[in-house]
Amino acid sequence: MKNRVITKKDFPKFVGRLTNQAEVYAPVQVKDKDYSRFGRIKSAEEICFSHLNTKLPVKELFFPQREVLFEFKPGEHSQAQPPPEIENRIALGVKPCDAAALEMFDRVFLDKEYPDPYYKERRDKTTLIGIACNQPGKACFCTAVNGNPHGTRGLDLLLIDLEDRYLAMPVSEKGEKLVTSYPEAAGKDLENQQELASKATKAIELSLNPKELKNLLDANFDHAVWQELSLPCVNCGVCTYLCPTCHCFDVTDEEYKGEGARIRTWDSCQFSMFTRHASGHNPRPTGKERMRNRTLHKFCYFPKTHEEVLCVGCGRCITECPAGIDLRETLQTLLQTLAPGKES
Amino acid sequence: MDNPYLPAPARIEKVTIENEARDLKTFQLSFVDNERLTDIGTSDSGFPIPATRPTTRKDFLFLPGQFGFLSLSGVGEAPFGIASAPHEDRVWYTVKKVGVFTTALHELEQSVVIGMRGPYGNSYPFDLMKGKDVVIVSGGFSFTTLRSTLVHLLKPENRGDFGKITCVYGARSPGELLYKDEIRAWESSSDINLVLCVDRLDGADWPKTEGLVPNVLKKVAPSARNAVALVCGPPIMIRFTHPVLKELGFAPARVFLSLENRMKCGIGKCGRCNIGTRYVCKDGPVFSYQELLTLPPEY
Repeated sequence: MKNRVITKKDFPKFVGRLTNQAEVYAPVQVKDKDYSRFGRIKSAEEICFSHLNTKLPVKELFFPQREVLFEFKPGEHSQAQPPPEIENRIALGVKPCDAAALEMFDRVFLDKEYPDPYYKERRDKTTLIGIACNQPGKACFCTAVNGNPHGTRGLDLLLIDLEDRYLAMPVSEKGEKLVTSYPEAAGKDLENQQELASKATKAIELSLNPKELKNLLDANFDHAVWQELSLPCVNCGVCTYLCPTCHCFDVTDEEYKGEGARIRTWDSCQFSMFTRHASGHNPRPTGKERMRNRTLHKFCYFPKTHEEVLCVGCGRCITECPAGIDLRETLQTLLQTLAPGKES
Repeated sequence: MDNPYLPAPARIEKVTIENEARDLKTFQLSFVDNERLTDIGTSDSGFPIPATRPTTRKDFLFLPGQFGFLSLSGVGEAPFGIASAPHEDRVWYTVKKVGVFTTALHELEQSVVIGMRGPYGNSYPFDLMKGKDVVIVSGGFSFTTLRSTLVHLLKPENRGDFGKITCVYGARSPGELLYKDEIRAWESSSDINLVLCVDRLDGADWPKTEGLVPNVLKKVAPSARNAVALVCGPPIMIRFTHPVLKELGFAPARVFLSLENRMKCGIGKCGRCNIGTRYVCKDGPVFSYQELLTLPPEY
């Protein structure tokens, strides 16, 4: 697949071609706020690339915060509803971290036994166009969790901002088709890209040994450090809601004036009700158990089952935590405290 | 495409009040549809009919230990162990009235159509149990999937596949024992050594034994040789049963427990029923004690 060049001057036309063939979603400025969020766009002017990343990861296009699984009329005959079909969509301006997270989602929602039809429909019908990170943020640590600021995992096409132009690197055939009419990239463009990629990678300082972390977490479930680590946490759940890899959900019924629906909503393992039995017994009764579960799910349980950590290093849980908990510090504390030879 | 979230319409054929406290009812369900639907159709349950999910009894294939979700439109859904055996026509669920969903379910009467989806999870280890003695230890209303197991084991075609069957089943008081007619019949059967016990007899003449399940198990002392133990009950009973089984010589790999954790999907996605790497819905609800020893105690 050949790398192409789209000049900034041509970019609005490129976006116009996209909007002609599919519903296009891209980061848009949220009114009166200092952040952007994925929204439907009709033209390139609506796109906002001035923030490091969107407040909410692109997961909301595939796994919305609230969605109707099916509708019913209580006690009455009801039309059966297959999972809703959607129009073809293009998500434009996805950061490599958030795109990589979707492949982790696939492991949960597209398993062989019970593929999730709602998620699958959106995944099948969506083309992902990424935008590389030339300047990672202060809380970014993708390189520590097998990611890369110019990574292409989960994407169909990656755009790299080369000041007056975008270098377009196709990843899949779907992505290649979108740019075949554009001129091939020159050697200079690729050199520029590599320089930017290496600069961006170097900007991230944290490095981790996920395998070591997994083994240490596994062997130290009862370690006293968890009490200490969980003390500042207020169990607000923002880290889970904004996390591109958190997939937990609740299913509830809503009814209003004789119309009802079964609803799926995001849920958080940080809430007491998440695991509380009807009897009142709670397997994870306090913040300590819940914080430990979240950390272990990402860095021990998921790696044991799927051979990779369930984290893409986007840093949202760090920048948004009201208690100032920094996952990078948490992990480093764990590594230091749990490593053999340390007191327990 | 297959939609695992859609329940199939199922009719309540019979409701039995199981205990004196009247907070345990058995619901016998039959599928409304007799033929598998190739197309998505309509139902009078208030629910859409899934095309390729089990919507008929014939397609609802399960083994004792598995569970299903019961669904009431407008209220929600919740998972329950299947209390009937695979060869029985109707699918039974014995439900304790304890929360919002179960309270609503308890108000329903015969002939009402509700939703059911499943079966989910693994089962008791029948392959391993073949040719071995089976020891069943149960307390309180957890006896449901073990009733399924016993009816399955005692089926004449199956009975020869297993050795001695011993069952210690206890409740707080005589009125709290489930499936009274059946267990009375089993008490006098030579196919099974069923020991029923209650915490307090309070002058009642049945059952014959007073005492807590672990203590009674110790007295009954079934041999661990070539045997498998199935345990289901409240956490306190399980805690005191382990040492007894150990003393009797049961290796952790031969002891199986059925667990419950809060769950919403039943298919390994909603994330809440995990015990370490394992999901109670998909990898359980039956776990060997040996495996549980390697997992966090979060159940």
